[in-house]
Amino acid sequence: MSGILDIVYAEYNYWIYVTLMMIGFYAMIAKKNLIKKVIGANIFQTAIFLFYISLSDVTGGTAPILMGGHGGEHAADVIYTNPVPHVLILTAIVVAVSTTAVALALIIRIYNEYGSLDEDVIRAARRELQPEFSEHARQKSVAEVSEQ
Amino acid sequence: MKALALFVVVITGAMLIYAGQDLPAFGDINSPSYQAPMTQYFINNSLEESGVPNIVTALLANYRGYDTLGETAVIFTAGMAVILLLRRRET
Repeated sequence: MSGILDIVYAEYNYWIYVTLMMIGFYAMIAKKNLIKKVIGANIFQTAIFLFYISLSDVTGGTAPILMGGHGGEHAADVIYTNPVPHVLILTAIVVAVSTTAVALALIIRIYNEYGSLDEDVIRAARRELQPEFSEHARQKSVAEVSEQ
Repeated sequence: MKALALFVVVITGAMLIYAGQDLPAFGDINSPSYQAPMTQYFINNSLEESGVPNIVTALLANYRGYDTLGETAVIFTAGMAVILLLRRRET
C-alpha cells in the first residue's frame, strides 16, 4: 500500500499536467466554435508550461535568485531550483501570447466575413459563396483529370 | 464524432501517463536535469560572469541574448500580422 502511495507522491504532478493537456486537446478537436478552439490551445500550452516548471522544482529549494547577490551576507548552503527550464518557458510564454493574438485577429476577420464562429456554418457559407472550391467540385475535377 | 474525439484523447492521455513513469520524481534533487554540468555551472558562476543575482535574468539576457533577440522578432511579426489583418481597408 505504501508503495502505491510513494508512486502517487512522486508522479502526481505529471498526472495533473496530462489531465490539463487532454482537456485542452479535447477542446481543440471536438468543439465547433473557433474561440473555444483557441481557448483549448491555450490550456494545452499552459499544461506544457506547468510540466516544465514542475520538472525544474527541487524539494526544499528556493527561487533561483542568489542569496547575498547584492552584497549582503553570502549563504553557501542554499539549494536553488533549476533555472534553465524557467528561461525556456519565459520564451515559450511570449510565443504563446503572439500565436493567440494572431489567432484572435484571424477569428475577427472570419466573423466579419461570414457572420458566424461556428465551423459548420462557415464551411456551408464558403460552399455557397465559392462553389468552385467546395469539396464536391474538387473531387469532380480530380475524377475528370484521372479520366483523361 | 464527440465519442471519437474522446477516444483519441483518452488513448493519448494514457500513453503520456505511461511514458511519465520514466521521468524523475517530483522535487528530486538527483534528477539528471538538475545534476547536469550546465545547470550547476549556471548556479555557481552566473554572478561572477554577468553580475546579476537573478539567475533567470542572467540566462535570458546574457547567455541566451540572441534567443531573446529572436523572441522580440516573433513579437514584432505577430504585431505586424495583427495590424495587417485588422486594419480598415479603403475601398
